[in-house]
Amino acid sequence: MNPRALAVWVAAVLLLSLGSEDPILRVLTLGAALAVLVAHRRVETRLRPVLWAVGVAALLTVLFNVLLSHTGQTVLVSLPGWLPALGGPLTLEGAAYGLDLALGLAACIVAGVSLSLVVESYQLVDSLPALLSRTGAALGAAMTLVPRLGHSFVAVREAQHMRGWRPKGMRSWTAVVVPSVLTTIEGSVLLAEAMEARAFGSGPRTALTTSRWRVTDLVIAATSAAAIGGFIAALVFGQLPAWQPYPALTLPTLSWWPALCCLGLFIPALLP
Amino acid sequence: MTEFAQFEEFGYCYPESERFSLDQITFQLGAGLTLLNGPSGSGKTTLLRCLNGLVPHFHGGQARGRAWVLDQDLRLTSTRRLAREVAMVFQEPESQFVLATVRREVAFGPENLGLPANEIADRVAVALQSMGIPELAERRIATLSGGQRQRVALAAALAMRPRLLVLDEPTSQLDDLGAGALQLECQRLASQGRAVVVAEHRPWRVEAPGSRHLELNQGSITATGGSRRAPASVGARPPRSLGPSAWEVSELTVGHQAPVATSINLDCHQGEVLCLTGPNGSGKTTLLRTVAGLLRPLSGSVQRRPGRCAYLPQEPGGVLHQASLVEEVSQTIRWLRLDCSPWPILEDFQLSSLAGKDPRDLSTGQRQRAALAAVLVGGPEMVFLDEPTRGADPTSRQLLQRVLDRLAGEGSAILVATSDTQLAQQIGDRVQELASGQLRERSQRAA
Repeated sequence: MNPRALAVWVAAVLLLSLGSEDPILRVLTLGAALAVLVAHRRVETRLRPVLWAVGVAALLTVLFNVLLSHTGQTVLVSLPGWLPALGGPLTLEGAAYGLDLALGLAACIVAGVSLSLVVESYQLVDSLPALLSRTGAALGAAMTLVPRLGHSFVAVREAQHMRGWRPKGMRSWTAVVVPSVLTTIEGSVLLAEAMEARAFGSGPRTALTTSRWRVTDLVIAATSAAAIGGFIAALVFGQLPAWQPYPALTLPTLSWWPALCCLGLFIPALLP
Repeated sequence: MTEFAQFEEFGYCYPESERFSLDQITFQLGAGLTLLNGPSGSGKTTLLRCLNGLVPHFHGGQARGRAWVLDQDLRLTSTRRLAREVAMVFQEPESQFVLATVRREVAFGPENLGLPANEIADRVAVALQSMGIPELAERRIATLSGGQRQRVALAAALAMRPRLLVLDEPTSQLDDLGAGALQLECQRLASQGRAVVVAEHRPWRVEAPGSRHLELNQGSITATGGSRRAPASVGARPPRSLGPSAWEVSELTVGHQAPVATSINLDCHQGEVLCLTGPNGSGKTTLLRTVAGLLRPLSGSVQRRPGRCAYLPQEPGGVLHQASLVEEVSQTIRWLRLDCSPWPILEDFQLSSLAGKDPRDLSTGQRQRAALAAVLVGGPEMVFLDEPTRGADPTSRQLLQRVLDRLAGEGSAILVATSDTQLAQQIGDRVQELASGQLRERSQRAA
């Protein structure tokens, strides 16, 4: 996929998932983001860690909202008032709103992750305008650090295990986490040093290749742009559904115009 | 003679260090190949970093005396400016990779020079060809072996077509073919009137007729002169008496997803040192990790006798995380509940004087010894070492050999994966070569 077409699609997902609090639209947007990621991720990439991260982030969002909102009429349980911040009623409305936030957050994470799982970091760098090429190269280098941390963690855990380390509670993990983080930080310094030594930033950059547009890329960019336009029009003309779980939980209503915009985001998943 | 660099009573001290890493250095660097020799921690890497301005510009610290590189005053010229004509390959090449695939990584330098796309493509193809890795062009760097990565880093430097090429331990993970390709390339650059400076513990792998040597010790140049020869191969060592089999693999297929080696039948006896050699990317690390129980075999069986396994990974720095070297070795003792002192193994690796230092403040060669001490303490029953002489000076190699001899004498079964065929011949009771997915015996000490 052309990285510029992907960038337009990601922008559309971000706008549609953050621009409305309607859970139906957020479910559709998250569905589209997952479908595109599954259909277009590079063969060597792994989906499971992403799904885990999204799941944990979503769970924490719901949990925090339930524990901290204390608003709504349907009380599930009450915590004692002497508990700082947590004390008070925990409500069904708080849980519903937390779930809604989690859906939006998950859609944003999945869309953002697709930038690194669908295209290579160098493709993103190449697709940036010349003015931003240095920033892009630095960004590309930064994107390699996350897999480096993962690699380092696995290597250190293995090596420590062979030295007799066994996980016994949270504190024991410092023997793995500390060297992993230190190694990654050290690696970042070495990388910065190496980039400097390889003339990065010494003058205007050029690129070995430039990304090409295929017909399917044009379709993706056009439908994503149409989704953005349609959603903004719906916003301007007051066609966006206004869902609020507080004070009493109500079911969301389907609004066809913005829903069609969300459905348009599924199109990249249907294209080769 | 064209001067590529000139140092006059130059000294440098890293920030927060009490000692000058380089002290009153005076030398001139001309065209051709210059080899920088010296023990681990002697200041070789620091001197190399001066040649492209990383020292002092990137690291800070205190510099004194005068130095010019390519007619530029070192103190006034930034690294990125020098880097347009000075290319460097670091001691740990895996740390210098910016992008994910080989072709793009090699193109990164020429892209920074602002060259047109067709010239970049041409340079990338030529550089990959010179290092003998054109078939790796589309591979992801994460899937390459240590030796293949080292070749990619060298190709990336060559693609810059520098006037001055600076290489820090460039053959530490290279097989003989890769070292030969690098030697040819150094000769070619020298014949074009360019300068190549190489810090290398096995200088005979890269040197050419007319090479110049600089000897560095404790931050000072102690000697200059001509060629070094490879040490003569060791005479026949009496064969060791072997115990029963410590581990055995049969009809083994190893690999991460696709097989890299098949139909492997191999065993190692108590008291035996078995060396595994083979070209870069042949699967030595994968086989060693499978035998050590760190990777599942794709098919076949691995049987190990009960007992402790010690494992040294190819990048050992990551295991070191304690505040001092003695704490690092003591940590293994605590984890394994061993009844021994950390000092004998530190003494074996001549690390006692560094025992109070943070392992991360040591040079690469010293770190390698520190990691070996941390994993080998207490006499493990089975030992698995992956490229244990990476960045090791001759003294460290001798120390390792002595420790492995002792461990084998005490009954340890030792498997060493190494691209250093000379080391394999020196320490191995048996040497097996892994190539094209198959294992074959290269040598066996007469019983």
